Amino acid sequence: MRRGAKSGLVVLAAVLGLAASSCGNGVIDKSTDGVPPAEATGTLRVLIPSFPPSTKGRAAFEKVVEDFHQTYPKMKVEPDFATYSTLNEKMSTSIAAGIPYDVMVTGVGWIQPFASKRIFADLAPYGVTPQVIEEKSIGALVPAATYDGKLYAYPLVADARAAALRISAFKDAGLDPDKPPKSLDELKAAAEKLTVKNAKGTITRSGFDMAAATSFRQTYTTLLASTGTNLYVDGQPNYSNEKGLETLNLLKSMANHVQPYGQQNAAQQPLVLTGEAAMGIVGGAVDCSDKGIGKKNCDDLKFFRFDSGKEVEFVGGDLASIGSRSRHKEAAWSFIQSLTKPSSLDAIAKLNKKLPAYKDAANSPQAKSNPLSKFVAEGLPLAIYEGGSANWLEMRANFDSQLTQAVLGQKDPAKVLANLAGQSR
Amino acid sequence: MSATLERTAPAVTPRRLTPAKDSRKLIRGQVRAGWLFLSPALLHSAVFIVIPVIAAVVLSFTDYSFGDSWAWVGFGNYVDLFKDQDFRAALVNTILYAVVVIPVSMALSLAVAIGLNQKIKGLGFFRTAFYIPTVTATVAVATIWLWIYNPSSGLANGFLSLFGFAPGRWLSDPNTALPSLMLVGIWQGLGTKIIIYLAALQGVSRDLLESASLDGASRWQKFAHVTWPALGPVQFFVLVTSIVGTFQVFDLVYVMTKGGPGTETTVLVLDIYQNAFQALRLGFASAETVIMMLLIAIFIGLGRLLQKADVND
Repeated sequence: MRRGAKSGLVVLAAVLGLAASSCGNGVIDKSTDGVPPAEATGTLRVLIPSFPPSTKGRAAFEKVVEDFHQTYPKMKVEPDFATYSTLNEKMSTSIAAGIPYDVMVTGVGWIQPFASKRIFADLAPYGVTPQVIEEKSIGALVPAATYDGKLYAYPLVADARAAALRISAFKDAGLDPDKPPKSLDELKAAAEKLTVKNAKGTITRSGFDMAAATSFRQTYTTLLASTGTNLYVDGQPNYSNEKGLETLNLLKSMANHVQPYGQQNAAQQPLVLTGEAAMGIVGGAVDCSDKGIGKKNCDDLKFFRFDSGKEVEFVGGDLASIGSRSRHKEAAWSFIQSLTKPSSLDAIAKLNKKLPAYKDAANSPQAKSNPLSKFVAEGLPLAIYEGGSANWLEMRANFDSQLTQAVLGQKDPAKVLANLAGQSR
Repeated sequence: MSATLERTAPAVTPRRLTPAKDSRKLIRGQVRAGWLFLSPALLHSAVFIVIPVIAAVVLSFTDYSFGDSWAWVGFGNYVDLFKDQDFRAALVNTILYAVVVIPVSMALSLAVAIGLNQKIKGLGFFRTAFYIPTVTATVAVATIWLWIYNPSSGLANGFLSLFGFAPGRWLSDPNTALPSLMLVGIWQGLGTKIIIYLAALQGVSRDLLESASLDGASRWQKFAHVTWPALGPVQFFVLVTSIVGTFQVFDLVYVMTKGGPGTETTVLVLDIYQNAFQALRLGFASAETVIMMLLIAIFIGLGRLLQKADVND
């Protein structure tokens, strides 16, 4: 080999070696597990969609960091204020790059898939068991945070949904607002009565807002659970059956009959809050001040839960986990302890208009701040959640597209459910 | 001091270089310089193109899903792909999108470029106006079109109502969702193509056009026999970039429909993204990427064949 080519190769090898060493060693710290907290040094990487990257959000996060620093004064905390839409990209790329996060805050549907991939660590070594969550947090979220009998996440806040009706619309339609529809049949009958159409047959006020402008998944899960049928039982699909089909057919019968498919307003607010629908699914909070929908609008609302045999409330939420490949697992647990102090949970709840996931959430400042939060806080013991299978992240998208195809009449609902069940196994 | 620095030149027999050797030495030097200048681009291509392509091909034969373990699955992902209805829908939608958007946008761009190549008033304004969509961020473009297509308060239905038409549901109607996206894609892609065509039109030989005029050729004959053949290489360039662009459409679909309703507007890159980063099936998504690369190669090959046939004619 000529001298020029040789020296070129040496330079190239040096450059690649430098790049490899900076990727391999420069970012990952030495493990601090077993090191006394006061002496531990390094960077704790936290992926957290619970704090908006605004001034208020950052200030609230800093308070958590200050609390953590009382135990780990020398550890640096590096937050990544992701959103739920970018959460998977952040987690997957960090894993692929070999620099996974130490603390990961995700949603209900994430825990089991990531636990099955051994990306989250079992919390038992830190004394966190399902019994602890039952005692201190929202017991209904225990199944969502458990995989293979082990607990992998600690709830931070609950994102609950309810249904609401407009009292005036009910009275106009000759319905009793004090007797909201409970069963699927009652819901359909009331929605049809409440739908207002113009002379051309175009819907001008929806009878029931299915909150499904882009996906029927959560509405389907809620209505199905209200018949006493959970989406999954012991990780196995439980919807390709009579109840599952009945629920899907109900949605199909309402799409474009009581609500135009894809309907949403510019602010993407629940349509019943703005009067664009007479009844519909709502989130976990309502702003009754003049900055929000106003007192008059608020007074016209009545909240209820679906009960077609079993009263249920759909609940999502933010849950904190420790990365299984973290080199600072003890510090990560300490950070989660700071994160789950009532003051931190109240701050997260206020920032996100969700409920703090502590035992007495019904008496939290957030629950007392508006009637809808109070209503959903009282319903937390009735919580049901979506997911339940290890491949839920994959199934979520399948549910989104295939339920829509069934609702819009492009595919046979029974075949869709059978197909989804096949993909779930 | 100086004596130590001075060296006596060794007595060498002067070599007589032949002209052939001289030129070979020169060529070798040029080749070396060429490689030296190419090396940054080659290194960049190796790191950001060659290695990822190889990685995608290798991953496509595995079931890697960001977990602790993975296994070779051979052609399993490819077999699963063709059984996957979302992939099939994405494949069909992408090809449909390309087949409609590419010829329509090329024809429109050429027509507009010919118009802008004339001596008309406000030429600068029109050129700027047609180019603005290209330099505007796709997310901004998509957001504006979301408002235009809004069924209850959008401009599109407002315009239709002037003529007594019933309001359309555009993006939420399975029948109109993909065509609505195609319209935005065509509109957004015009600017770049217009600029390229405009430059090419200005390079068409004036002498040939003048000769054709002197021979009594009509406008159409001049276009068909002088301008069109002169645009050949540019047509191929625009075709190739359009094929790559339309096959890689993502942001527009992601912001406007997320692939819905159902899978009516799911395209390949969106499906790859969803499989890789939402469902975390990186092996499966890599197989899909390999298929997409092959598809782009096939389409470019077809374009090349068409181009050759056109030249031979």
